[in-house]
Amino acid sequence: MYTKLSRTAFAGLAAALLATAGLALPAQAANLRMAWSQDATGLDPHAQTAFSSLRLLELIYEPLVRNDTNLDVVPAIAESWEFSEDGLTLTFKLDPDAKFSDGATVTSEDVKASFERLLDEATGAAARSNFLSIASIDAPDPATVVFNLSQPDAPLLVAMASINAAVVPAKAIADGSVATTALGSGPFVLDSWEPNSREELSVNANWAGGDIAYDGITISVLPDETAILASLRAGQTDFALINDPLVATLVPNEPNLQLNAVPGLAYNVLQLNPSRSPMDNLQVRQAISCAVDRQDILDTALVGEGKVTGPLTMPAYASDPSTLFCYEQDIEKAKALMAEAGVDGFSAKVIAATGEPPVASAEAQVLQSQLAEIGINLEIELMELNVYVDRWLAGDFDMAVALNGGRTDPYPMYNRYFTKDGNLLKVSNFTDDEIDSLLQQGRVETDIAKRKEIFQQFEARLTELAPWIWLSTSNIYTAQLKTISGFESSATGTLFGLTKVTLGQ
Amino acid sequence: MRILRAIAAHPTGRIGAGIILLYLLLALCGTIGFTPHNPLQQFRIDRLQGPSATYLMGTDLFGRDTASRLMVGIGQSFLIAFASVGLASLVGTIIGLLAGWWGGWLDGAFMRSMDVLLAFPAILLALLIIAIVGPGTFTSVVAIAAVYTPIFARVVRGPTLSLKRREFVDAARTFGSSERYILTRHLLLNLVAPLTVQVTLALAWALLTEAGLSFLGLGTQPPAPSLGLMMSEARNLMQQAPWLLVFPGLTIMLGILGFNLFGDALRDILDPRTQRRTA
Amino acid sequence: MNYLARRLVTFPLILLGVSLLVFFSIRMIPGDAITAMLGTEAGLLTPVQRQALAEYFGIDQPAVVQYGRWLWGVLQGDLGLSVTYGRPVLAIILERFPLTLELALLSMVIALSVGVPAGVLAATRGERPADVVVRILAMLGQSTPGFVVGLVIIYVLSVYFGFIPAMGSFASLWSDPLANLGQLIFPAVTLGFAFAASVTRISRASMLDVLSDDYIRTARAKGVPARSVVWHHALPNALIPVVTLSGVEFGYLLGGAVIVEQIFALPGLGRLTLDAIGQRDYALVQGCVLFIALNFLIVNLLVDLAYAALDPRIRLGAR
Repeated sequence: MYTKLSRTAFAGLAAALLATAGLALPAQAANLRMAWSQDATGLDPHAQTAFSSLRLLELIYEPLVRNDTNLDVVPAIAESWEFSEDGLTLTFKLDPDAKFSDGATVTSEDVKASFERLLDEATGAAARSNFLSIASIDAPDPATVVFNLSQPDAPLLVAMASINAAVVPAKAIADGSVATTALGSGPFVLDSWEPNSREELSVNANWAGGDIAYDGITISVLPDETAILASLRAGQTDFALINDPLVATLVPNEPNLQLNAVPGLAYNVLQLNPSRSPMDNLQVRQAISCAVDRQDILDTALVGEGKVTGPLTMPAYASDPSTLFCYEQDIEKAKALMAEAGVDGFSAKVIAATGEPPVASAEAQVLQSQLAEIGINLEIELMELNVYVDRWLAGDFDMAVALNGGRTDPYPMYNRYFTKDGNLLKVSNFTDDEIDSLLQQGRVETDIAKRKEIFQQFEARLTELAPWIWLSTSNIYTAQLKTISGFESSATGTLFGLTKVTLGQ
Repeated sequence: MRILRAIAAHPTGRIGAGIILLYLLLALCGTIGFTPHNPLQQFRIDRLQGPSATYLMGTDLFGRDTASRLMVGIGQSFLIAFASVGLASLVGTIIGLLAGWWGGWLDGAFMRSMDVLLAFPAILLALLIIAIVGPGTFTSVVAIAAVYTPIFARVVRGPTLSLKRREFVDAARTFGSSERYILTRHLLLNLVAPLTVQVTLALAWALLTEAGLSFLGLGTQPPAPSLGLMMSEARNLMQQAPWLLVFPGLTIMLGILGFNLFGDALRDILDPRTQRRTA
Repeated sequence: MNYLARRLVTFPLILLGVSLLVFFSIRMIPGDAITAMLGTEAGLLTPVQRQALAEYFGIDQPAVVQYGRWLWGVLQGDLGLSVTYGRPVLAIILERFPLTLELALLSMVIALSVGVPAGVLAATRGERPADVVVRILAMLGQSTPGFVVGLVIIYVLSVYFGFIPAMGSFASLWSDPLANLGQLIFPAVTLGFAFAASVTRISRASMLDVLSDDYIRTARAKGVPARSVVWHHALPNALIPVVTLSGVEFGYLLGGAVIVEQIFALPGLGRLTLDAIGQRDYALVQGCVLFIALNFLIVNLLVDLAYAALDPRIRLGAR
């Protein structure tokens, strides 16, 4: 009681002092004050892939379609769409109300120019590989776009729901200003951007999606997440993105704060490198899978925040993890497998990026301790993110702790790693005829039930061959003051839900 | 012997020496494995426990014993501090001696390169070196040494220049001693005092720099404990587990304090100017 | 004058060395602007796409050619374009510099206004409790890493006072002086902590030194009151080493305080450089390091000149 009283008294005194000193800033009229620890890295929606860039650009641009909070595909710029019977053409009708923030209507020419830019190699769009089935694009009238495909491509529509397939004005493409001006048809307009410091957004009066209950968003970059929490606690920030589960778990302790957690599609994984001995041995890889206690890693490194997962993280396709190979830790079986492989313990190096994700180092340390039980001596190499990316892309590691991005469809999520012509084959160093053919079947199959069956086989086979050890999903967190309401989280991490928010006073 | 006795008589020097000896003892125990628990063993059911009879300073996120990790961490931090200051003083002394003794273009070239290192922002210099080579104990040693080498070069060059002109060197020359003999015997003897003082103070800075680098995730690699790394791991646990921040924090402060006190005492004793004052 | 000229001649040489060191070392770090932007997705690029991006970022030519071009630009006052900001490097640096300068000045003011009186107090109370307390505090101050002080300040302010300096939306001195002060005061205290400790120690030592000098003894013998001896006769001379120390320390602070800027989310030079390294924004890193080095050289030259001006016994050039 005493401490409580004196605390309040202190707080009152401090507030009074600070107010007289003029330190308290006047509350900004009707702007949502948002904070995150990592800033966007650029404004070109076709080229950017960083998590923060996508979150920012989703507020400014719109794709033809988007995912709702159930991950279903819903209209955005397109009002409706239809696949032809043979699956070789996809036709969109555009929303006649869709306008860019300068007032110009979004036309089929803008859509055509945007996808042609995306497919042009000189753009450097990493997402290009998801759209290679597009043979040509027709714009028969201003409100109709027809995509002609070289082969049936069921996941194409899902790929188009990404902000990486945003529609940008044809004239911005022509004058080369896409990377610098951020002129979109989304709910907000970017007024100013100071990289690694702040963004100012105001509501786009021309947005076709409806009214927004406040005037704009101010985003601050606060590199330290403990500082973000402090800023929320002090009521200086309304809404924040949190990456570190350790910080997220502190949010509910604060009476004025609310934590929104939603299981993400990204997965924490221990990637083995099957091109290096002894990970080239199936039994060794399986032994590692059996020796790992996934729940224990989740409980320790992620303080229980997340779910044990197999390769498929999207609810529509995911299997029950307990049905997958060796998802219960089984040290005896692991030892037997090692003996069978004729490997009597070995040393290996595992790479991990500093702070990306924040739990990487902790995961590596628990894995190190678990694998020591079957005689595997792991050495941890922590490195700066960029250095890590360089080595990861070159496949230059024995093992790697990673948080790899998820998709709402299994094919674009894994074709890059595990099909024979995948762009990231160098990273996985692993191919298997059956895995390859299952992925190809899943790509062209349009019947939902059949696709599910195919991908379940794929998932079971992949965990049994254990090129990687899938561990868990992480939660995606946002924290907010209780005074604001209406935000809906999504497993994709999008902040589009901010359009429905109201600021209470 | 005379110096040791003087330190034992010096009020703050005694405290500093005491702290350093205590830390060395703890580090030694940590190195030979004489710790309450295995510092790397994860008692995962006991994670984030506060200080208790079993875990004197509580446990961390993995259920590792903080006290044991601190003992080993002191050793690790000391190892890096001693090695980097050793390297910096060795390279710095050689450069300073050569520059001061030969003078001319060699002096210019050496001292300008030292100026380049000095003008380069220290933490960024260390950061670049670590980013290029990749973090680890050895890299930390090199990175910290690179920051402090110019200081040693300057400390040595000044006295070398003036000693070179002084009579006893000339005298030794006329007696036919070889240059090498002059260098090693006379010069080094006269450099011992300023160097010793500089080394002790640099040890304190090196401990601070190592803590800072580890705090940024660029120093010692997990799971090996170092004081700065333990603090950076504890940072987001500040509220649930304050002991994880408090004990390493105090340990760093006390350790650096020890070297600062010791260094000050040494300066009092060895620096002729202060000697004149206290006499 | 001769001394000044000789010092100034070495500046271009030193800066050339700094530029070579930073230019080639930053390129030795694995990863480039492309992987910094795309992360692991960079692996999806075709060679043609990669080449197009390398041209866009200006990293498609051999490093030596890049260096030649860059140096030629620098000689004409053009530090190049930042790939992150898409703007001239010099403009970005000049935008961030006022904050760094302000923070350094504010820390110095705090350090001097705490450190000098404390040092004088300790010196005049030889070995009495006040002296011992001051010395212990100063020692502790010098022994505490900046990140510890910063974290403690943020924690105490936010948990016990429900307050933290408004972070992120930084107010400049011109637009809102009070808000600006409110944001800078705690980082300045954090930096001023160790700085004040050094000032205290050096003022105490130097004061003791001066107080034992003959002219002070003479003044005392002549019956000048003790207060006056200390403040009017001794202090001016005792301050000479304080000026030197503060100048050198100030020179370091102008290089940006990486960790403190990080903790308090201040857009200063230190964080700018750190972020630029992370994003492999080569031109920006080069510009920042060169700018910081130049500041450092100038400040140190000024410190030496001030030292000579204050202390008639010192003649520059005689070294």
